[in-house]
Amino acid sequence: MASPTESICKILTLLKRSRDFQTKVYQNQSSGQSVSVFYIESLVDIDMMVKYLYPYLIHYPFTSLQHLADVLPLEDAHLSSAPRDVQQKLLEGYLAIQLIEQDDLVLLVKAQKKIERTLTIPEVEFSVVGPKESFIESLETNLHLVRKRIPSERLTVNLFRVGSLSQTKLAVVYVDGIADPENVQTVIQRIQTIEFDEVIDSSYIVQIICDNRHSLFPQLLDTERPDRVAAVLAEGKVAVMVDGSPHALIGPTTLVEFFSSFEDYFSNWIIASFFRLIRLFSVAFSILITPIYVATLNYHYELIPKDLLGTLITSRKEIPFPPIIEVLFLELTIELLREAGARLPTKVGQTIGIVGGIVIGTASVEAGLTSNVLLILVALAALASFTTPVYKMGNTIRLLRFPFLLFAEMWGLLGVAFCFCILMTHLLSLTSLGRPFLSPLFPPRWGDWKDAFIRLPFSEQAKRPLSLRPKQPLRFNSDKAKAKRDIENIDE
Amino acid sequence: MSLITERSKISPFMVFYIIMSMQIGVGVLGFQRIIAQTAGHDAWISVLVAGAGGHLILALMYWILQKANGDFIHLHHQLFGRWLGNVLLLALTIYFASMSFVVLRTYIEVIQVWMFPDLRTWEFALAFLLLCLYITRNGFRVVVGVCFFCLIIPFYLLFTFGSVLEYTNFRQLLPVLDHPLPSILKAAKEMTLTMLGYETILLFYPFLKNGQQSSKWGHAALLSTTLFYTLLTVLTLAYFSEKQLQRQVWATLTMWKMVEMPFIERFEYIGIANWLLVILPNVCLGLWCSSRLCTHIFPIQQKYALLVITCICFAAIIAVQDRTGVNTINEVISKVGFYFLYAWIPFLAILTYVRTKRRDAQ
Repeated sequence: MASPTESICKILTLLKRSRDFQTKVYQNQSSGQSVSVFYIESLVDIDMMVKYLYPYLIHYPFTSLQHLADVLPLEDAHLSSAPRDVQQKLLEGYLAIQLIEQDDLVLLVKAQKKIERTLTIPEVEFSVVGPKESFIESLETNLHLVRKRIPSERLTVNLFRVGSLSQTKLAVVYVDGIADPENVQTVIQRIQTIEFDEVIDSSYIVQIICDNRHSLFPQLLDTERPDRVAAVLAEGKVAVMVDGSPHALIGPTTLVEFFSSFEDYFSNWIIASFFRLIRLFSVAFSILITPIYVATLNYHYELIPKDLLGTLITSRKEIPFPPIIEVLFLELTIELLREAGARLPTKVGQTIGIVGGIVIGTASVEAGLTSNVLLILVALAALASFTTPVYKMGNTIRLLRFPFLLFAEMWGLLGVAFCFCILMTHLLSLTSLGRPFLSPLFPPRWGDWKDAFIRLPFSEQAKRPLSLRPKQPLRFNSDKAKAKRDIENIDE
Repeated sequence: MSLITERSKISPFMVFYIIMSMQIGVGVLGFQRIIAQTAGHDAWISVLVAGAGGHLILALMYWILQKANGDFIHLHHQLFGRWLGNVLLLALTIYFASMSFVVLRTYIEVIQVWMFPDLRTWEFALAFLLLCLYITRNGFRVVVGVCFFCLIIPFYLLFTFGSVLEYTNFRQLLPVLDHPLPSILKAAKEMTLTMLGYETILLFYPFLKNGQQSSKWGHAALLSTTLFYTLLTVLTLAYFSEKQLQRQVWATLTMWKMVEMPFIERFEYIGIANWLLVILPNVCLGLWCSSRLCTHIFPIQQKYALLVITCICFAAIIAVQDRTGVNTINEVISKVGFYFLYAWIPFLAILTYVRTKRRDAQ
């Protein structure tokens, strides 16, 4: 074990190998003492240094580092002799000031360069009405966005560092007294045991801390909307925010939550419920329609009434392939279009969409490779899969139809039912932070249905979701919320 | 038994879904002919009688479980000693496993007759049993979840029977009580296989959060099933004439042929595909029960017991070749189930009663 002095020296020598590590020596004009300043150029705000630090270093008659620390008008200036601390702070953009060379005491001054983009409107979870702020890549700004929405002393932020190399800052946020301590503990425990070197984004964290790593389904909800985070924190959930990621994670989550858009809360409850039901229907449609097409055309054409069967036969008359090949061909085309559109810049992507959608579609029907009935079904199914408000869930939905197709090809409708059973079992076995993923469906909690498939008015939402086991189950007094507010009642 | 943690236990009202989904199985597709053979147009009374008998036996089971502190397996060891107890439990294991086997084999028979004549028995049985293995390996909670969804989702099928209504003639039910009591009772006895399923409570009872509280849910389930069967029987008797019915092995499926919708014909295909969901809990819970028994007889983990039992079931399924074989196994399991419920359970109740009396006297 080296002595601390040597260690600080050692760290400085190690850092000197990088060309952006700077060492400057100044002469104080009052005392004549020489002062060395160490910093990493690329991390430090030079402006701040020149404006606020140098005048003191060069002109102020300070006697010791402590004295200097006391007079500096900067956010953070503290003495340190711990080599590890010095190293970490230097790498975060602090300046280290040393009075005597080889001294084991340095003054650390915060002068971080802050480069971040400005707040923009949410692009993935866009809403026509409601707030238009979304998270950015800075943890402090993101925390600010949440905290200003919950100005309460109970909003608790726990900070961690994850990743042996990246040392990424990570915040676990919850409202103390509402969130179930067990949920909070689960998150914290899993975060503390993360073994990874370079944590770039919150989606890394989801994949590392989720309950079942081999599941297609995302088990924590990610959102870019600070208003959504604030709303679910008030319900008793836990949020995880990662520095450098514009997406916060929310847990424990449930399957139905992935199909609720936050915009649902901005419109009248009947309209919101209608849209939710439409979304759920479109998910079922998107997964099942092409497998049902394959199943009926392969095995159960008797199911189709005479007139409809005529239409189908006419459109399929010229097709040289069995239904499954036809469907796979079209489904893969759609996937190609989507992937190409996603990889290309927005404007080129739109062109690709038009070219692919119209040209390939029409051409393949004219060439007699696919039937136009199927073209309609596949296009509708693709469209329906894009109604899923959470992007990651949309991807899952698109992938799910392929096993269904295989089983439909094998056993017709029986295969579809069989595949459905597999899916059901998988969903039943999933948990999010140890809480059942299918709640409030199973275990059935009828009380939570008020905000699942439909969204009842706010006056009915007095109870927090039971499946979260909140410590304080009531959000507000529902009697008062339901009370009539007529003129005659107002002075009571 | 002390290994069951509070977290893995389920609410007492789930008993409703478990028992009901366990009772409604492949029998529903064709029980009407069997009971109408003996009781004619009074068959619906037999269903009610069978239901009443079920309530009695279920009450007895709850009483036994209460006296045995919920541990049915341990009760056997206490009453008959380690060795004889194990033999009896092994018989029970075989009983539950063969319930799974009979249900699955009969369902495959239905598929082969109605949907896919060339469906290879082993192919479908293997896939289905693998699915059951996947479900049961995930633990009792998932099994219960499957029971729950497999009762809720096919519920819509109930409404499809409405389309038969316009062709029914309820005068065919008259005169009521036209048949002698013995034949009504005999038909009630033949209802056993269709009614079976509630005896699983004996094994999953320790997994309930508050065992005795669940009794009202158990009885509610039994009542709902009985009413559903009665309704279906009345509808069948009013739809078919007695002679017609004798030719319908799967009367329920024939009735589905009448369902007409603008975009769907031949509804029985959808019905049969949906019935996969209905029989799934039967097979799963049967396998689960027998594997649970196994762990108490042999020093074996439940997952290995499951594997062994599933393999045996698979072998048994491919061994049964044709329609007569399916009929035979159905009759056998029906008899065994009848004696298990109406002879063994009362006998156990008497033994338990004597034992508690003697203990109280001491």
